[in-house]
Amino acid sequence: MFEKSLWVFHLNSGSCNGCDIEILNIFAPKQDVERFGIKLVGSPRHADAIAFTGPVTRECLPKVIEAFKAVPEPKIVLAIGSCACGGGIWYDTYAVIGGVKELYKILKEEYGIEPPTTIYIPGCPPKPEAIIYAVAMARGLVKQKQKREIYIEELDEKTERDIVEILFGEAKETRHFVPNITVKTDGGEDE
Amino acid sequence: MIIEILKGNDAKILRHDEKVILALVPNDKLRTTAELLFKAGCYYATGVGVDERLLGVGFSMYHIFNCESEKRYVILKAVASNLKIPSITPVISGANWAEREAMDMIGILFDEHPEPLRLILPDDWPEGIYPLRKEFHYNERPPKVEFKPPKREKKPGIMEVPVGPYHPTLHEPEVFELHVKGEEIVGAVYRGFHVHRGMEKLAEERMTINQIPFLAERICGICGYTHNCAYAQAVEDAAKIEVPERALYIRTILLELERLHSHLLWFGVAFHLLGFDSGFMHTWRIREAFMDLAELLTGNRKTYGMNLIGGVRRDIDEEKKKKVLEIFEKTKKETKEVLDNAVGMKELISRMKGIGILPKKEGREIGVVGPVARASGIDTDVRRDHPYAAYGDLDFKVPVYKEGDVLARFLVRYEETFESFWIIEQALDQLPPGDILNEDYELPEYAVGIGATEAPRGEDVHFVITEGGNKVYRWRPRAPTYNNLPAVPIMLMGEKLADAPIIIASIDPCFSCTDHMVIVDGEKVCRCSLDDYLGRL
Repeated sequence: MFEKSLWVFHLNSGSCNGCDIEILNIFAPKQDVERFGIKLVGSPRHADAIAFTGPVTRECLPKVIEAFKAVPEPKIVLAIGSCACGGGIWYDTYAVIGGVKELYKILKEEYGIEPPTTIYIPGCPPKPEAIIYAVAMARGLVKQKQKREIYIEELDEKTERDIVEILFGEAKETRHFVPNITVKTDGGEDE
Repeated sequence: MIIEILKGNDAKILRHDEKVILALVPNDKLRTTAELLFKAGCYYATGVGVDERLLGVGFSMYHIFNCESEKRYVILKAVASNLKIPSITPVISGANWAEREAMDMIGILFDEHPEPLRLILPDDWPEGIYPLRKEFHYNERPPKVEFKPPKREKKPGIMEVPVGPYHPTLHEPEVFELHVKGEEIVGAVYRGFHVHRGMEKLAEERMTINQIPFLAERICGICGYTHNCAYAQAVEDAAKIEVPERALYIRTILLELERLHSHLLWFGVAFHLLGFDSGFMHTWRIREAFMDLAELLTGNRKTYGMNLIGGVRRDIDEEKKKKVLEIFEKTKKETKEVLDNAVGMKELISRMKGIGILPKKEGREIGVVGPVARASGIDTDVRRDHPYAAYGDLDFKVPVYKEGDVLARFLVRYEETFESFWIIEQALDQLPPGDILNEDYELPEYAVGIGATEAPRGEDVHFVITEGGNKVYRWRPRAPTYNNLPAVPIMLMGEKLADAPIIIASIDPCFSCTDHMVIVDGEKVCRCSLDDYLGRL
């Protein structure tokens, strides 16, 4: 990914300020991410990464698309907070599009833009430490913590097995920020 | 006196107690009643449109007034006949946007409204679909319609400087358009409602009364807990629920903790805008201690999730109490040091003194609240005027300055910060024993309740109509920025362009709070009516 300094443009698509304040917070003395070469910039054209907050409201959508297109390629997106990850508590209301995945769908269908690499940071708001971890991941300093594997206990009954599969099918659909989940039954003690 | 005004205008009193007077006013007397109330010293808090067809009433409008002299809220209810209600905007300009919101969201028509334009809904929203009507479901997404922006005519010699929707000094998507002649600002247009998330409808349709506090907290990421409290108080007022005293004290402690972190945040942002970045770093360093304290007391740095109807969810034990006082000893000293240094800096003071003046008379007409009002000589504070939580038992000062400039607003917040330390210390000291949650209540059907708190930015009013069971029929929050924003163009007039960011920031604007509701219209702030606006220049 980006091995050198990462310049970040903060794109608020209708967030409640909670995540935005935590983003500012990581630039304050306690966390001070500028020591990793990270800087907030005022113009999308100067940025390598977008710090994306908010569930994308209907009013904001055209402006968000404009700002999104203005960030040059290659870019990465840090989807900060539950709202940005999947729309949060208002994921299906009339005034909200529903998070960064829905935005990517619109971008692909209407403008033919492929979704960029995205790092999801859920939380309401996420702790500053979580945001720093994500930024460090973008810099290639640390590895992703989340695995795309879920372990379940082995079941004898075939019907129960079917129920579990239906449940995981649903999980794959709804938890779209963890793509390609695999289900394993060997107890999860591999490491 | 209020009651005489209401009775003299054939109003039917529906509720009358020490907190609220609710009166049904005949449509032909609505405007005179509102005018008389305003002249009697009650200022306009907000207006709420309600779809009451399920109750066999039709559409109705509730106008809420804050009567400080009687320590009460007065609600005038008017029922639409044939979708029409007379507008009170001609006599009270503060009602402008509240009525336009009801037009947008419910479809009530207001007779003789001076500016009946769309306010909240997005530009591509189709006509004739009203989200807050009961037949509309919260997850419907009507198709886009084409929208043509109004034509802009350029005035010679006037430059338009857009600030937003994405701008380095704003952290929220809002648009201010400043009109400048040389360096001097001669006009400003505000265009908001980018953060309308459909919260009220969501609460009515999908959530239960004890889930809404968590939704209310997500109105705003800075002053969420005060919304949470105001909502809980509104339901407790409607259902007459007794809250245990210990819970009230815990609420007070958390409300003041929130004020501390919010004020320090504001100092930091103000210093940054004034070019004093080390001040920003120092205040945010101190603020981190309060975030840790919040985590200690509630489990989260922000969005505390502490309130339920009837009390709070977590207790404060002796160990936490000790820890809070320990941290306070250190932070109080540090805060004083940093802020006193700032107040002693000539460069900083000269950038705030005499800048962005809001005269008392204009402030009162608009109905500004909180530190903005107190800096303009208006002595108002919900904590003292309508005591809630444990504020009635505690001792604190309400700082009032009469200069009305940015420096006065700075100094009001400066004094309030130390009052907050003092309030928390008292509350911890006097924390009474007992339960923290009263779950023994029943929600009445269709009762009206009001909850008000003093947010860090000013008066925060929540209006609730219960549905019985565990649902809410209508909930409407009104944030303080709603009342303060119309004052910004008055402050901006005639100032230099370079001072605009600190003047806008001096009201401590919080757009996410304001946006799923309404903002009172000042004379020169308008949305989508740029032509009208330019005509008035």
